[in-house]
Amino acid sequence: MAEDMFEQFREHSVAEFFKKNRQMLGFSGKVRSLTMIVHEFTTNALDACEEAGILPEILVEVEELDRNKDHYRMTIKDNGPGIPKSHLGKALGQMLAGTKFHRYLQQRGQQGIGAAACTMFSYVTTGQSTKAVTCHKGKRIVADIAIDFKKNKPVITVLEENSAEETGLTVTAEFKDVRYERSNYGVYEYLKRTALANPHCSITLVEPDNEQTTFPRSVEKNPNRPYEIQPHPLGLTPHDLLEFAKHSRENKRLSSFLQNTFARVSAAKVNELRELTPKLNFNKRPDKLTWDEAERLVKAFSQVKWIAPAMDSLVPIGKERVEASFTNIFNPEVLMVTERKPKVYRGGIPFMVEVGIAYGGGVSAAQKRGEVMRFANKVPLLFDAGGCAITETIKTMDWKRYNIRNFEEEPIAVLINLVSVHVPYTSAGKQAISHEEDVMLEIKNSVMEASRGIQRYISSKKKAHEIATKKKVIGRYVHQLSSDLASLADADAERIEKKLNKLIEERYVRRKEEGDSTENN
Amino acid sequence: MVSEIRKGEGPKFESTLRTRSNTIYDEAVGCLRTGDKKETRKFLSVAQARTFMQTVAIAAKTRRFLQEELHTSIRGLFYQLKFTLGEDIDEDLFTEQGESNALIEDLEVALNVKREDLHLTTDRKGFVAGSMKIKDKFGGEETTIDLSRQGRSGWSVPSDVDNNMEIDSLDADFVLVVEKDALWQRLNEDKFWREENCLLVTPKGQSTRGTRRLLRKLADKKLPVYCLMDCDAWGWYIYWTIKTGSMNLAYLGRDFAVPEAKFIGVTMSDIKEFPFLEKLTIRAKDVDVKRAEEMMGYPWINRHKDWVRELKLVLKTRKKLEQDALQGERLTFVGEYIKKKIENKEWLR
Repeated sequence: MAEDMFEQFREHSVAEFFKKNRQMLGFSGKVRSLTMIVHEFTTNALDACEEAGILPEILVEVEELDRNKDHYRMTIKDNGPGIPKSHLGKALGQMLAGTKFHRYLQQRGQQGIGAAACTMFSYVTTGQSTKAVTCHKGKRIVADIAIDFKKNKPVITVLEENSAEETGLTVTAEFKDVRYERSNYGVYEYLKRTALANPHCSITLVEPDNEQTTFPRSVEKNPNRPYEIQPHPLGLTPHDLLEFAKHSRENKRLSSFLQNTFARVSAAKVNELRELTPKLNFNKRPDKLTWDEAERLVKAFSQVKWIAPAMDSLVPIGKERVEASFTNIFNPEVLMVTERKPKVYRGGIPFMVEVGIAYGGGVSAAQKRGEVMRFANKVPLLFDAGGCAITETIKTMDWKRYNIRNFEEEPIAVLINLVSVHVPYTSAGKQAISHEEDVMLEIKNSVMEASRGIQRYISSKKKAHEIATKKKVIGRYVHQLSSDLASLADADAERIEKKLNKLIEERYVRRKEEGDSTENN
Repeated sequence: MVSEIRKGEGPKFESTLRTRSNTIYDEAVGCLRTGDKKETRKFLSVAQARTFMQTVAIAAKTRRFLQEELHTSIRGLFYQLKFTLGEDIDEDLFTEQGESNALIEDLEVALNVKREDLHLTTDRKGFVAGSMKIKDKFGGEETTIDLSRQGRSGWSVPSDVDNNMEIDSLDADFVLVVEKDALWQRLNEDKFWREENCLLVTPKGQSTRGTRRLLRKLADKKLPVYCLMDCDAWGWYIYWTIKTGSMNLAYLGRDFAVPEAKFIGVTMSDIKEFPFLEKLTIRAKDVDVKRAEEMMGYPWINRHKDWVRELKLVLKTRKKLEQDALQGERLTFVGEYIKKKIENKEWLR
């Protein structure tokens, strides 16, 4: 009896824990929660497709079951490799059981808390299980995934099992306590920006009112895969260090653990660390490392001069790709995209900033004014804009210098993608970049570089417009002047008019080519 | 301009700069005139294209008047040039008379002719009575006008007193200019001009070009010109325009100035001699005070010590006096006042 109660209590507590702490996992606010759900499934789909070498095709369908009760059904379908039956439960039903944990490479999934959290969110809010259809290596499985709160284990019920030629994963789940909105924080904007940063994918969204939007593919090739590298000591926190140490089975000593696990750590560097932390025993077992010791080590890391980590671990979207997707999605009047070399921050963490600025044309037509689109490793950052280094940089720019009178009111859209194996987020929410000095400076320089291109365009356009206006202003007086001159000088008006028109034509066209702005008064 | 266009150059013309900085006081003559600074007006300039076209349009129009030997007023000219530039152009050649008036002045400067020579007339305003006969050739007829036989209305000064008009006979010892028509009518009724053997003129406020030109011609006949104005900003301005010319029309120079003119009244000093005027003073307005201060700064005024003294008195008392006050005691007092002033040479230069 007592045991039953305890069991009940435990079951209850897992659900309660999730409910109470889901903000920590990104499920805060109704609109944001729905965006997070879409985020989890689309990033998983993109990563899976890219890893399998498939051009991603993603369908997101949002059905409103009862708006008053904030009740929705979500279907997310991809054409990825699918999931084998054996991994189905782990992938969709067990928290912190994904394939990405402890992999050190520039990857989208770094951000997420996994699809399992969505399954749990669905279960906690609706009591319904999540339905998955996976087509993997010729097999098609339709399964129902529930969660056993007692054991934090997935409960899989296979409903159908047959053969299939295609591949892919379709997940359908119901959610309450969420809300669909076409705001800057909503699913539509999230997918649009995802498409912008991932021109190799095709994304279709079906909204609750059945309106279907497709962000088509503009590049027919998957981006290069980032390759896995060892973490660099400068990117580590005490918590990271402890996590790595705990899982280090093959190393018996702290010294060999450090050398084998992290990049650029040689025997000589370990000796330097020894000198910096004389009280620390470098022969102890790594899994016996304490928090205090880890803290001291991390402090020592920052005092050692390291060789920078390998730069080629960074995979930006790429200039051509940004250009293609901007043209595809906004079709702006003018577009400037930067292509800059990687930089390092905090003395050794490589990162790269990509900036694309689109002006006029489709941006005006879409009623976009001063839009800032933030990305980290190609993933759109929709929330916490206020505290983000990117927003801060844009806000403090002297836009007037770039012929942009009022940034907030001009038809301008700015894409900023920060690429790094270790993105410096402000918080666990992973929606804002912290105010790292080196990162901010590079963001600023990149934005300035792209802005100069926009400035050149706007000022040459202005000049051309001015010249055309001048020509028009003067041109309208030619006829009258010619006839009066002719009458005064008893000359032929038509000939004078012809000659004058030619004169104006020559003068103002020539000026345009030379870019000469001096009006000869 | 036509040859410039043929050579592939933008048409242009040179003109004397008509800014205040290029307005100078000619001490030798005693009038305002323009300096030597020139400016070039160009058609191929956004800022000047429209006025350039308009100036040429006025030139073309007036040339036709000259050829046809017809006159028109500047208002008439404006209406003849107030048309839309073309079917597909939403703009008129001229939209306001102010535009054409200013450009007529430009044209006078550029061509160094008077508008009267271009057969352009202005509204008539001044009136004259006195022993003078004028021959007027007009509309193909010649008439002799006797200015002593114009009854209560007087002879109306035309805008052009040079072309086709000449003084046939003149019997007067001086010219008396009174600012206001009311006073002119008083003196006309009193037969002041006959008794004192003078020409009685009123510009009715600010002088027209015709009136100023007539006064110049009379001064050339060695007649002294005495002016009776209000003692206020407006009265002073009218006097100084007659005497030195205005800054706006400085380019007309001596032809439109009468440096010999003398200001016989009214002045604040008159109060001392005629105490009844004290009660008839008016509080000076800001514009009067400002004008007095300005005048003290003009070199052609502050070189006359008696003027400086008079202006200082105005600034000190902050009062002004109108010429009508002279009729305050007795309607015919004004005649006595003028006679006394001229006999005793009590005037300001």
